[in-house]
Amino acid sequence: MKTLRRNALSGYSWLMLVFLYLPILILVLYSFNDSRINATWTGFTWKWYVSLFENRQVMQALMNSMTIGVISSVIATVLGTAAALAVKHYSIRWSNIFNGLMYLPIVIPEIMMGLAMLVLFSQVQMELGKVTLILAHVTFSMPYVMVIISGRLADMGKELEEASQDLGATPWETLRYVTLPLIMPGIIAGFLMAFTLSLDDFIISFFVAGPNSTTLPLYIYGLVKRGVSPEVNALSTLLIVSTVLLVVVAEIFRRKDSKNNQSIF
Amino acid sequence: MKRFKSLMIGALTAVLAVTAVGCSSSSEQEQQVLNIYSWADNFDQDVIKDFEQKFNVKVNYDVYGSNEEMLAKVQAGASGYDLIQPSDYMVGTMIQLGLLEELNKANIPNMGNIVSTFKTPPYDKENKYSLVYTWGITGIAYNKKYVKETPTSWNDLWNEAYKGRVIMLNDPREVMGMALIKNGFSNSTTNTKELEKSFADLKKVVPNVVAFDTDNIKQKMIAEEAWIGTVWSGDAAFIHAQNPDVEYVIPKEGATIWADTLAIPKGAKNKEMAEKFINYLMDPEVSVKNYESIGYSNPNEKAYPLHSEEYRSNKMVFLDTADIARAEWLVDVGETLQQYDRYWTEMKSGR
Repeated sequence: MKTLRRNALSGYSWLMLVFLYLPILILVLYSFNDSRINATWTGFTWKWYVSLFENRQVMQALMNSMTIGVISSVIATVLGTAAALAVKHYSIRWSNIFNGLMYLPIVIPEIMMGLAMLVLFSQVQMELGKVTLILAHVTFSMPYVMVIISGRLADMGKELEEASQDLGATPWETLRYVTLPLIMPGIIAGFLMAFTLSLDDFIISFFVAGPNSTTLPLYIYGLVKRGVSPEVNALSTLLIVSTVLLVVVAEIFRRKDSKNNQSIF
Repeated sequence: MKRFKSLMIGALTAVLAVTAVGCSSSSEQEQQVLNIYSWADNFDQDVIKDFEQKFNVKVNYDVYGSNEEMLAKVQAGASGYDLIQPSDYMVGTMIQLGLLEELNKANIPNMGNIVSTFKTPPYDKENKYSLVYTWGITGIAYNKKYVKETPTSWNDLWNEAYKGRVIMLNDPREVMGMALIKNGFSNSTTNTKELEKSFADLKKVVPNVVAFDTDNIKQKMIAEEAWIGTVWSGDAAFIHAQNPDVEYVIPKEGATIWADTLAIPKGAKNKEMAEKFINYLMDPEVSVKNYESIGYSNPNEKAYPLHSEEYRSNKMVFLDTADIARAEWLVDVGETLQQYDRYWTEMKSGR
């Protein structure tokens, strides 16, 4: 009876996994298909990947994604870290409300954010392009950085910083030699998270992109109009693989973080 | 302490430097920039490269997935593009909204090279604002393994032998337009009687239809899930290359023609360069290279003799001028559009 139940449960778990990953698996599988259409399997090939790297448009989109991703996540990490520190150290008035407002962008529908930013940019007559994309990406990824670092700061407690100040360190030295090293894994995890979000974002980018700022997701969307070709599959596969890698690395940093944490206390 | 400070400063400088490079690339000193907003894969890569070298210009090529998307961007007023590619009906809309610049024909002497039908399209009668770039005709594609007799009329889609094997575009104007043409009316009629009659006729074909699905027509025809259907000529060429059993005809009653055009949005910064690019694309030799690479029908009549035998013998790409003349554009139907949409919803929900 018990084994039956256990079998049923594990069967169910596997079904859930299939449900979640089957579409992605098929997408990846057909990126290696020799035929131009996603209907029949005719043989294994790398040629779609090769043709991607020979395509100037794809390379341009990749460059755009990278530039925008790196710049926006560096800015988001700096701002997010600073904000997390500020919220922790200074119990500013209405800090709960402030906190809530900081996290709100996470739950606001992306389409609203995108539209709002488009309206703002055209109100102040900013030309759409890389700069507006970077601004937008900073806006939506900063709250995530803040969440990650705030969590780390809460775990850390006040004792170490207080001890450091008791021993005569200036606030700056405390930040430099105590706080930052302790939360560094969190900062790195936050940075990688921000980069991943920037790399994957479609909806907000869709609204605020301009000349010479087509990112990979925007390009994939444009390609689909011409029918889903194996190149689209190949490009999506690369995007998925890099996203997964980044998330795994971010998670490793986050875990290392909490392990260190335990050994300290 | 010091090390950390210099590290921070270093990082900050790096960020600023990269940002500055990112910004300034759009305003490089001498080299001009042409910002194109178009459909994906719509130009041959070498053609763009040659143009860049010849005119010392940097071409930025961004893509959109639908006319409405492009319209929204241009309407937002902050887009910064010099050249866009609205489809036929969208040209009409954009002219009405005052969103297009008039083309300076002195800069585009090659304009005269195009097929005469394209010199007087109803949405822009004198090519004042736009020039046809890619185009096609919605005809019948059929798999000769299953469809033994070559179709000649739209009526063949109504044949009961093809029950569950007919595929159609997922577009009210295209499909209603087809039914209207079949019944001898204009594909853009505003006459409610004509619409009613054609709709009653269209309802009878529904049991035959496997799907109304523009995006997967190619797949379904190649995989032989669908045997016959309403297909754009360009898609038919693509299907034929993958499954040689699929052929294409333009029915005797006529058919709907469409085009994506070249146009310049209001306030474009580099209008003259955009015109030079249009002129370049309409050069007969350049156009041969371009269209054979992207696989669309060339509107450039002067280029016809220069095309390869293979391109010329493909009757899905190299369409007969008589067929072009017979085909009809979809034009704005004003208020009647609601009726088209109502019939469309009724038909699809009644399935």
